[in-house]
Amino acid sequence: MANQHSAAEEKKHHKHEGPKKHIIAFIFSILLTVIAFAMVAAGEINTTFIYFMLVLMAILQVFVQMGFWMHMKDRGHVFPIVGILSGVVIVFTIVIMAEYWAWW
Amino acid sequence: MSGHTHVDGHLPHEPEKATLEGRNKVLGFWLFLGGETVLFGTLFSAFLALRHQVGDGNPTPMELFDLKIVALATFILLTSSLTSVFAIQSMHTNKVKPMIWWLIITVLFGLAFLGLEIYEFYHYVHEGHKFSTSAFSTSFYTLVGFHGAHVFFGVLWISILIAQIFKKGLNVVTAPKVYVAGMYWHFIDVVWVFIFTVVYLMGKVG
Amino acid sequence: MAHGHAVKRYSGLMDWLTTVDHKKIGILYLLAGGFFFLVGGLEALLIRIQLWKPLNDFVAAHTFNELLTMHGTTMIFLAAMPMIFALMNAIVPLQIGARDVAFPFVNAIGFWTFFAGGVLLNVSWFAGGAPDAGWTAYAPLSTPTYSTTHGLDYYVIGLQIAGIGTLVGGINFLVTIINMRAPGMSFMRMPMFTWTSFITSALILFAFPALAVGLAAMMFDRLFSGNFFEPTNGGNAVLWEHIFWIFGHPEVYILILPAFGVISEVISTFSRKRLFGYSSMVFATVLIGFLGFMVWAHHMFTTGLGPVANALFSIATMLIAVPTGIKIFNWLFTMWGGSIRFTTANLFAIGFVPTFVMGGVTGVMLAAAPADFQYHDSYFVVAHFHYVIVGGLILGVFAGLFYWWPKMFGRMLDETLGKFCFWTFYIGFHLTFFVQHFLGLMGMPRRVWTYLDGLGFNNLNLISTIGAILMGIGTIAFLLNVVITALKPKNASNDPWEDGRTLEWTISSPAPEYNFLQTPLVRGYDAFWKEKMEGKKAMVPAEPIGPIHMPSPSILPFVMSVGLFIAGLGFMYAKGDYGTGIWASILNNHILAIFGLAITLGCMFLRSVYDDHGFHIEPDELHGDKGVKA
Repeated sequence: MANQHSAAEEKKHHKHEGPKKHIIAFIFSILLTVIAFAMVAAGEINTTFIYFMLVLMAILQVFVQMGFWMHMKDRGHVFPIVGILSGVVIVFTIVIMAEYWAWW
Repeated sequence: MSGHTHVDGHLPHEPEKATLEGRNKVLGFWLFLGGETVLFGTLFSAFLALRHQVGDGNPTPMELFDLKIVALATFILLTSSLTSVFAIQSMHTNKVKPMIWWLIITVLFGLAFLGLEIYEFYHYVHEGHKFSTSAFSTSFYTLVGFHGAHVFFGVLWISILIAQIFKKGLNVVTAPKVYVAGMYWHFIDVVWVFIFTVVYLMGKVG
Repeated sequence: MAHGHAVKRYSGLMDWLTTVDHKKIGILYLLAGGFFFLVGGLEALLIRIQLWKPLNDFVAAHTFNELLTMHGTTMIFLAAMPMIFALMNAIVPLQIGARDVAFPFVNAIGFWTFFAGGVLLNVSWFAGGAPDAGWTAYAPLSTPTYSTTHGLDYYVIGLQIAGIGTLVGGINFLVTIINMRAPGMSFMRMPMFTWTSFITSALILFAFPALAVGLAAMMFDRLFSGNFFEPTNGGNAVLWEHIFWIFGHPEVYILILPAFGVISEVISTFSRKRLFGYSSMVFATVLIGFLGFMVWAHHMFTTGLGPVANALFSIATMLIAVPTGIKIFNWLFTMWGGSIRFTTANLFAIGFVPTFVMGGVTGVMLAAAPADFQYHDSYFVVAHFHYVIVGGLILGVFAGLFYWWPKMFGRMLDETLGKFCFWTFYIGFHLTFFVQHFLGLMGMPRRVWTYLDGLGFNNLNLISTIGAILMGIGTIAFLLNVVITALKPKNASNDPWEDGRTLEWTISSPAPEYNFLQTPLVRGYDAFWKEKMEGKKAMVPAEPIGPIHMPSPSILPFVMSVGLFIAGLGFMYAKGDYGTGIWASILNNHILAIFGLAITLGCMFLRSVYDDHGFHIEPDELHGDKGVKA
């Protein structure tokens, strides 16, 4: 696919890849997790708001992990992104089913 | 086209993508993970649909779940994801020994996670939360158990890979395997993020 | 570079058990799928014989339930799917100019696990009764409360195993089409059959995991006292319907899309014209694939989802008529002004068009939720889905088989017998199912064992049964054709229809095991036709002749499927009372199940540990091939 980029650029691109970036991603993950747990542990907050925040934290964390750790933000990941996103869209409809159309 | 040509000891920068076989494996595994997304999504949906079906006299999620254990398990799994990243980075710089060590640490974290989960399930069963207790319990054990089974399989898989790298070294055949196992491990971690959010934290909220 | 690995070559039965060659796996799929097609067809005939007159007692009511369940399950999962996979295996790598599929070993696993699952499902006939809750296995009819035999256990476990095979097969084709295309074969130059196979594989990838979860949940309910679908303990029976149709609706598009692809190829070839509106065809295929996931609840209008859900799914369903309509018009415009040859393959393809339109029109009728409350569970529905599946998919498969038979076997099927086959099958089909629309509108419910006299159903049911027998004759004519053809010399040329447009017609019939001596250079859509139009007889090669790497054959896929088969039986029979003997301790402790799983996991271990270096075919072994100078 997108192979027009020169080998030199390829090298430069990979030189940046050190442990630092991943440790920052890790700290982000831990932070998001701590926020989520702390909100629940604190309790006494509006349930809908907590639900919203919990889902938001989880989605942010997925972006961090899949982007950095699974290299999805890197070049040459068109088909992986299409594959995972299609799965996510379908899961979205299934979750709507479970929430709204399983009981009445 | 055929792989195995790098006999001179020099590995390309991204050995997992050096051969067509390797690229096929990585892409195929990505697509497999897309399918796994639907698999876990369906399990989550079944859980979401049934999570309030606790039944009379059975322990509710609020009584059952202990956030301390969940937090510990989450920390362990997140850290194991980081160590598996380090393993892949060592692979990209062709440092075999550190790679093997990072993989071993990853496996140990995985085992610790499994130990915690087994302890947790054992505890729940003693509190009257068995597989067949209610629709909530069945869907809970199925969802979390599927994830646990994935962790277990990952532990087995990465252990076998460690032994293989030990014997065969790192080359264009073994590198894609390690890379793909790393992807698998991250995916398991991502699924766990949703499990602790949807099952445990939301269960605690009510 | 060449390797000195000893080449293990098997012959006879061992060759077929160990093959990783996609062309041979395609033939295996065709054999297995064809066998199950005959089994399912026989079940259909028994159903029709039971219904030919009112108050008939040809089969018992209970047997009738088993027959209709097994007919549906067999035809969808064990006949239609593998025949699709047969064509995909035989043709897709050739159409994209690939030497092999991306994962030849996984491809073999795909076939053997499908076969193990299919055999396991049919073992139920001899083990105390087949599944009898309909092919949809709706809860609570399928839960342990109402189904106490092992029939449904065979259903959940057999389909689970077969589903694994289909899933890995789908991934194999996705990666093959993405990564293995010949130089110049861009996505928008891919033949339509490859495109539809691609989208079908994507649908398989995202639909089958949902089925796997549904079946696992049902299995847990049945074997481990789970409560997913058990209302007494808080379970939800409608949840099964949802999960089943979230898989089930994409499944019907999984079946029909490759048939669309076959029809596109056949009509274009035998009209001697470029496919009209190629890019709109591609767009329509992708759109159908996407919408296919968004319409599942139209199977459940009468469960009481409420007006909002019903309206949404109603509209989404009707939307699918748009891309399908685009396809229909494209086929018509492809024929328009073409010099049409009425070969058997083309007869099936042309016959497909009006038949599928009828199935589509009744589909839109059914999509109207208020009207569906009348049609639901009547013979109108039966007529509809047979029009799209038999009139769509099966006609497409027949067209594809007649069209590609020389490429698969090196012999042309007999045209006279082929046309006899077409006309008997086609007329028989319409006789059988056209009248069922009216039976449904008159109020005959589906899945009934028999009906009373004096309701006005008698004549139409008799006509339907006669039609079914005619379809049986058509099928026999096809089998006869296969036998007669097999006795003839293997003399099909590279391009036996003389109007071949795509890459598979540039190589010998049947294709050599390495497919292409030299990978071709693709310079446009309808790659071969483009070269022909410029006066060339062959493709321009993209590489010089060199050693060709081939994967080694392996028995592991077969053994893995045997392991799953044993594990399936072990799980099913773990929950019985076997006294205190040795069998009791083996079965009740899941030892048989664990043994089976250990076989499968052991094979995976061996596969991981021992590298498959494959072997090379050297240029001097390639003699006798009409190679092109590089």
